[in-house]
Amino acid sequence: MPASSTGSSSGKSPMGIVPDDNLRTELASASPQPGFASTSRLDAVSRNLFAPFKHRKRDSHKILADLIMTPKMMAHAQTVSVRPRGIGTTSTRPTLDFATIGRTPLRLGLGARRTTSRELEVVETASEILATALPDALPDDEMGRPSLLRGFEATVPSADSARARRRATRNVDAPRLGLKRLSLGARGLMAEEAESEEDLVVVARERGHRGRKKRGRESLSANKVFGREELDRQTREIGRDKENLHVRRSLLHNDIAEITAKIEALDGIRTKLEEDLLKLQEDELELDDELLMVQERLELEGSRSGSVHSSFMASSRRRKGPAFLPSEHDELPPGIAFMTLECGSTPITALDFSEPYGTLITSSLEDAHPRVWDLLSGEEIGRLRGHTGTVKTLQVEAHICATGATDGTVRLWDLRRVDDDAESSEWDLSDVLEETEEEGDHTDSGNGDSPVEEQSRIRPNGTRLNRTPKEDTSGPCVRVLAGHSKAVTALYFENDTLVTGASDKTLRQWDLATGQCVMTMDILWAISHPSSTMSAGHLAGFPVAGTFAVPTPPYADGSWDLYQDFLGAVQSWEYALVSGSGDGAVRMWDMRTGQAHRTLLGHTGPVTCLQFDEIHVVSGSLDKSVRIWDLRTGGITETIKYDHGVTALQFDSRKVISAAGENGVKIYNRTSMQYSTLSTNGHIRPVEKVRYMDRYLLSGGRDAAVKIWAL
Amino acid sequence: MHTDMSKTAEVPYAADAEISLSFDELQVLRTQYEKEVAQSHVTTQTKFNYAWGLVKSPIREHQAEGVQLLADLYRSEPTRRRECLYYLALGHYKMGNLAEAKSFNSRLLEREPTNLQALSLDALIDNAVKREGYIGMAIAGGAAALGTLLLAGLIRRASRK
Repeated sequence: MPASSTGSSSGKSPMGIVPDDNLRTELASASPQPGFASTSRLDAVSRNLFAPFKHRKRDSHKILADLIMTPKMMAHAQTVSVRPRGIGTTSTRPTLDFATIGRTPLRLGLGARRTTSRELEVVETASEILATALPDALPDDEMGRPSLLRGFEATVPSADSARARRRATRNVDAPRLGLKRLSLGARGLMAEEAESEEDLVVVARERGHRGRKKRGRESLSANKVFGREELDRQTREIGRDKENLHVRRSLLHNDIAEITAKIEALDGIRTKLEEDLLKLQEDELELDDELLMVQERLELEGSRSGSVHSSFMASSRRRKGPAFLPSEHDELPPGIAFMTLECGSTPITALDFSEPYGTLITSSLEDAHPRVWDLLSGEEIGRLRGHTGTVKTLQVEAHICATGATDGTVRLWDLRRVDDDAESSEWDLSDVLEETEEEGDHTDSGNGDSPVEEQSRIRPNGTRLNRTPKEDTSGPCVRVLAGHSKAVTALYFENDTLVTGASDKTLRQWDLATGQCVMTMDILWAISHPSSTMSAGHLAGFPVAGTFAVPTPPYADGSWDLYQDFLGAVQSWEYALVSGSGDGAVRMWDMRTGQAHRTLLGHTGPVTCLQFDEIHVVSGSLDKSVRIWDLRTGGITETIKYDHGVTALQFDSRKVISAAGENGVKIYNRTSMQYSTLSTNGHIRPVEKVRYMDRYLLSGGRDAAVKIWAL
Repeated sequence: MHTDMSKTAEVPYAADAEISLSFDELQVLRTQYEKEVAQSHVTTQTKFNYAWGLVKSPIREHQAEGVQLLADLYRSEPTRRRECLYYLALGHYKMGNLAEAKSFNSRLLEREPTNLQALSLDALIDNAVKREGYIGMAIAGGAAALGTLLLAGLIRRASRK
């Protein structure tokens, strides 16, 4: 077929066939570039007809020849390539051949139509569609699904026609019963007026009734005979209809599966968006804290005075905003312990640090002298010598450190003087030295008998007695506060107020400027005289009157201790004091009156750690839970459950970090309520104490190691 | 399970496309489609039903719309592309866009050289192209004859003067 058209075209050309390469160039130059979609046939024809006029290289004497020649030459070239060899080229080039010319009259005149935009779009997008790749066949999936046409046949309205036809065949010509009228009458509605029909019915029935008496009652289908062909046809049709039903069912199944998949995908997206929302909430809380810090600094820098400097800053326990960290800290991978400090061989009992990369003080179980570390280098600078019993609690604020030990004393240390002590190491025990006053009295603080001397210098009520001149070399110990009769197990100081709790079940408030004990609060008294406001719960049934000793629930490694600290934790702010005690109660005291005005009950084990801010009190206890209480209502807002007893915690608006008897440090995200653990390069025995500032976290464990983490 | 598979071929022969649906049937399909559009979830089957009904109709506008819908289907349902190729070829053939029809059909034949319907459509398209080619030749011939006549008249007039 193509050959014949070639032959005819060559026969018609008056000037002979131009050689092929000339033809190709004409073709190439005359037609627009491939990829340009043709708009309409008319345009294509006209474009090609006028193409010679637009060409610069054409000689004028050739133009006329081209006008006549071009179509035929193009046809010649086209017929060569119209065979389906390459798809892309033929579809995109406006084919100008006899077929095109043949079509133009139809397009232009005979049809008397205009090409609509739809048609144009359809043609234009055809090439784009072809560009869309055909997926490589999925035979297993496709075989299971009915073809589109099959679905069409099943769902088209005429699909039901066979059924309707069969129903029609089952319509029996029964004498008219007036069923419609009956049904309307049954519903109590007025029927249409069709009296004549009714008469007919009545008459007919009577007649029929009479006639049929003899034959008896017959069923409606008795008279109907279908015939074999009809019945066969009906069988086939029913078969087809059943297949159609099958097809429709499978279509619906597919649709349902599709929709389910879409819903799942959307659900997934929704959960992700909600998580993002939570993240934003967290960030907002962080920004609030940062704002607080910035405002504090504003005040601070607004009133510049060196001595006021330290008192202006809130204690590190209350400071919320971000800390000052070296820029390298940002590069640290989060959740990995990047530094480890080995402190002896016994479990860490207490730790605190002044600021990130500042000074760290740690105390261990069998060691009465806490170690002083420089966090920047990770080396031990010195030790705080003075106590005679294990230091169970300590707090560091800038360069002042307060320690409470089992010997019942509280010592204040000046950390700037730790280097001096290290140099003069023969001075084993430090003096009691006032910070600001100079006195004339000389007392020699020698080497060996200092502890005895010290004890004798100190009166039970803790008043300052010793006055040594400045020139006497002194260790870092600034002051000793004695007064408790048993081990001091919790302390907290801010500005000039220090509060301590001891195993003698009393809380004492001290004035640091004078070193005097200002108030003593007896917990036993508070227990036996409960105040009117007590939150729901019950007191743990521990023997309170005698010696307090409770076995801890086993740690993750199975070990357990005898917990004897009746006062697990204290914190104060101005005149408000909160204490957590071994009976499981968190008591709120007013230090102006010395009364516990509120008791928060809920824990079923001794409270080991607590912290409060303006809104919440968070307490952790050996009953394996951390409770968050609302200060205003006294109710529990949240309870965080762990697997082992909680021994230390710290919280801010976004998270609660706790040591819960496992090797990993537990972090609870308050906004997203998610738990996470820090364990990479972590402790090999349960963590005992944690402390963090901004993104710098320290943890001390029973493996006698302190690990530093980047949050 | 299926008793008579010959009646329900996977894709219809081109002759089936010439049989158009009644107006009412097409209307039903249209309302079904528009209802689903309003619900903003159009099932493939409904879209195909409507598109196929449109393509079968003799009105060119309908055919164009049907082809448009089929093109949408092609884009959105990768699993149905094989069938859509055939229907697109059929639609374009009916509309007279023989080049597109040819290219779609060739695409299909690349994949399935033994597809009976595709082969028959291929033959139909070739015939149509040939037919139009003859018409074109006739017109071109007539135009050439007219042109030479005019030219001869002009030359004669010029030579007379």
